[in-house]
Amino acid sequence: MKKKEARVITCIICPVGCRARLTMKNGKITEIEGLECPRGEEYVRRELEAPVRDFFTTVRIKGAVIPVLPVRSTQPIPKDKIMDCVLELANVVVDAPVQAGEIIAKNPLGLGVDIVATRDLDRVKER
Amino acid sequence: MVKREIDIAVIGGGAAGLAAAIKAKEKGIENIVILERNEELGGILPQCIHTGFGLRYFKENLTGPEYISRFIKKVEDLRIESKLDTMVLEITPDKKIIAVNSVDGLLELRAKAIVLAMGCRERTRGALGIAGTRPAGILTAGTAQRLMDIEGYMPGAKVVILGSGDVGLIMARRFVMEGAKVEAVVEILPYASGLSRNVVQCLEDFNIPLLLEHTVTSIHGTDRVEAVTVAKVDANWRPIQETERTIECDTLILSVGLIPENELSQTAGIVLDPATGGPVANELMETSVQGIFSCGNAVHVYDLVDYVTQAGELAGESAARHVLNELPSLRKKIALKAGDNVKSVVPQIISGEEPVALHLRVKKPMRNVKVKMGNLSIPKRVVRPPEMVVINLTEKALEKLEKRDELEISIEEETEP
Ligand code: SF4
Repeated sequence: MKKKEARVITCIICPVGCRARLTMKNGKITEIEGLECPRGEEYVRRELEAPVRDFFTTVRIKGAVIPVLPVRSTQPIPKDKIMDCVLELANVVVDAPVQAGEIIAKNPLGLGVDIVATRDLDRVKER
Repeated sequence: MVKREIDIAVIGGGAAGLAAAIKAKEKGIENIVILERNEELGGILPQCIHTGFGLRYFKENLTGPEYISRFIKKVEDLRIESKLDTMVLEITPDKKIIAVNSVDGLLELRAKAIVLAMGCRERTRGALGIAGTRPAGILTAGTAQRLMDIEGYMPGAKVVILGSGDVGLIMARRFVMEGAKVEAVVEILPYASGLSRNVVQCLEDFNIPLLLEHTVTSIHGTDRVEAVTVAKVDANWRPIQETERTIECDTLILSVGLIPENELSQTAGIVLDPATGGPVANELMETSVQGIFSCGNAVHVYDLVDYVTQAGELAGESAARHVLNELPSLRKKIALKAGDNVKSVVPQIISGEEPVALHLRVKKPMRNVKVKMGNLSIPKRVVRPPEMVVINLTEKALEKLEKRDELEISIEEETEP
């Protein structure tokens, strides 16, 4: 028996926030209801097939005024890799000074993106 | 006491204040001072490590630190003076500023123009009146954000979030990413208070339950939060007792609204709008006191920083024109009043002669609406409380507008023909 399932995905492309009701068969969409424009359909298909997200977190930094450095990925990463990526960066410690844009982790997990600093942090003089 | 005469004082070095200072400098004003309470410029943005900033202003998707550093660099490049760690104590109606810091001691600045850009602050537990004990572990979302993403502390391990404002949603995701468990986000309204993008990417992505029409009725624990009681509410926001249940947690995060910060506006005798909590401003962002301008979240709470920057630029430009004696006083004054389903509108006073963008907050979500303003009627697909409604009054629209001393703006659902 082929399984029929239903799913609801909220389109976040514009403030209208349409809720797409999907009917699916074997993981394929057979019907989409509730979207008000074609941009929504494109979004919903991408969300279903290969959802990606911007990635950002902090890593530890030594020798700066604050102990954490904010970082981001240069491109969005697959949604289901967010937590793996967080864990991959959990033990990273960098040394100040750091400049925004500097690569903090190169191609983690082979995702094809780099993790870069999003702010400058100067080195503070040791007391 | 150090005494100085300056052209423009900018109170607050966040997104609004930096934009104002930069614009004023670009207009040819030399003697500008930014007064900032924190030890660095940037306001709230250095702790907003997520993306989503600058999509309108830069047409780029930036993080908070990336967005604001562009303005901090510009302030440095333009050699605009800023005094950090400096607390402004009082502003007088004749534009005298009393401030204090550990370098100058007490400071008296006499300014030709002032830009108020103090931003907003978070509502706290005191504003809610939740019953129960007073243990450690109750924080506003912004405080938790600062602890986690600037100071490097983990504020809790098992978290309940009250209120679904954007910072609360963002923090739900941050807590999960840093290894905590977020038990629930509890919202008294039948819809989320934050942007739908944040509901999807911060809650749904991490399977965090959003309990709509629920509230926290009690906090338990002596030294540290041990649990909270939540309950469903009825149509009048009264908790329904039979629905009460206890959720174990060690941290309660509050994301229950932001209030423009205007103690200083009050010492200056500026008229505030009870609907926004900020100064009444005209289309040039001038307050009721001539020569004092205001912008950003001190005027009303914006949804996007890009708009805050734009408002800052406008206030900075007006302040510069005031110093240069080029600022016209409005020949005509039309007072804008909030009508049906409009919570607030900024600016509150327009001339009706120059194109202007009106920023509205609505009370409740509606679809297929007409924004009515006197004889004008502007259609909109949806209006939602989390998103600012922007009405661009173009030259053409103003030509059509019947100008009266007072105009009410209301939002009406279109009835099917
Ligand atoms: S489907 Fe179209 S109208 Fe609906 S939310 Fe998405 S982009 Fe907006």
